[in-house]
Amino acid sequence: MTDAPPLLDCDILVGHDVTTGRWSRPEKVREVFAATGISGGVVASLRAVHFDVPSGNAEAQEVASGNGWIGCPVLDLRDPLGAEKELERLLAAPERPAAIRLAPAAQAVDPRYPAFGHVVRLVVAAGLPLFVEGDVRVIGPELRGLGARVLFLDTHFYYLGDFVLLARAEPGFHTSTRMLTGPDSLEIVAAEVGAERLVFGGRTPFHETHSVRRRLLSSKLTAAEIAQVGSQSLTKLLEP
Amino acid sequence: MLIDVHAHWGPWFFSMEVGPIEVNSELLDRFGIDLQLVSSIEAIVYDAPAGNRALDEQLGVDDRLRGMVVVDPRRLEEARADLTRLAGDVRWVGAKIHSEYSRTPIAAPAMQAAIELTTEFGLPTLVHTWGDTVLDLADVAARVPGARVLAGHMGAAGWPLVPEAAGRSDRIWFEPCWSAPEAGRIRWILDRIGPDRLMFGTDATLIDPSVALGALEAADLTPAEADAVRWGNAVGLFGL
Repeated sequence: MTDAPPLLDCDILVGHDVTTGRWSRPEKVREVFAATGISGGVVASLRAVHFDVPSGNAEAQEVASGNGWIGCPVLDLRDPLGAEKELERLLAAPERPAAIRLAPAAQAVDPRYPAFGHVVRLVVAAGLPLFVEGDVRVIGPELRGLGARVLFLDTHFYYLGDFVLLARAEPGFHTSTRMLTGPDSLEIVAAEVGAERLVFGGRTPFHETHSVRRRLLSSKLTAAEIAQVGSQSLTKLLEP
Repeated sequence: MLIDVHAHWGPWFFSMEVGPIEVNSELLDRFGIDLQLVSSIEAIVYDAPAGNRALDEQLGVDDRLRGMVVVDPRRLEEARADLTRLAGDVRWVGAKIHSEYSRTPIAAPAMQAAIELTTEFGLPTLVHTWGDTVLDLADVAARVPGARVLAGHMGAAGWPLVPEAAGRSDRIWFEPCWSAPEAGRIRWILDRIGPDRLMFGTDATLIDPSVALGALEAADLTPAEADAVRWGNAVGLFGL
């Protein structure tokens, strides 16, 4: 493996994963980061995804502030009217959010529903990048043609070809590395659309972050590309 | 010593370039894998006898490779012919049944008949398990005298069921490769069933070996656990 460059995780979660019953506490995230050499990242709250957006987003911001991470508010796609108000509130705050996370699958909102397109357009109009969970084949087409900056958090290597097709036409489309676990997945994306479209993501502490780290550091990308993917792509994506 | 008990040879229909046997050899070199048990992708997804014949011609390319005879439970007479021809060859050390590609549920009578057949030939059988089918496989092992089965993926998201499966039969072993590994599975399972029934597998060349190695790294194995999981249990089960 190559020596590790700085690593930032684009996909940190805190709170209760209601589908498995498991919990994420900040101390567990810190423990994984200490073992894997990850220095920080972007954190969102499962409380906001599953239950209550304002208090969940406050939780994420508190965790971010307490650990030197970056908070990522969530908007609830089940409540587009509430999402309008929450985004307005976030944009009026002294510290502008770095990105907005959407969870259409967890919230059972089909991307073809009016709410999804409406909330997406609000976020794009605000000039913020979208961090989006779910199947890239289903969600990706609904995000085309908007000039959106998007990070797909759940791209599986089975559907890598679909991501590449989307990303060729959409310069703002990026993908997390988390499930690009085929022997040539990272390498194909880098060759097709550039390493700057790959963003290191571990879904710490629910996913096996050690595996994501090893996949990147033992890849056939150049050292410069590994550094790009490890932290620089995320930093660039979050620039205002 | 590191033995990979779950690997493949041949092209996949996803956006990846892993068809030639040289890809197996390169991954063995790069990740320090000493022996790899491979089954033919053609045999799994399309035509079991033809794929087994094709793999037989490839095994000599790299003396670190061992064959797994793919059995299609819908074609048991042809499987018997394959087993009669290959089971006495020291290069072929086990059988493989993919429950989904063969469209044969593990709880179905046809699956039990297939495992009775591989047991008749004295071969341990790697069976694809997903979700709660890991329990179904344990039940088959308990019903078939002398059967020795290895639960490929150890149920993937069904991994919390492994202790229960282990309790249903003492002739089921577990192999944890997964393209989307959840955190902490291996440590959790070792703490409940001990080190004697878990063994290392990668799903290469579909999945990069770094993913499985990262999961082992996260488990922080004791020296005795590492010896058992990395090679000892595989030597014992497959007679390597």
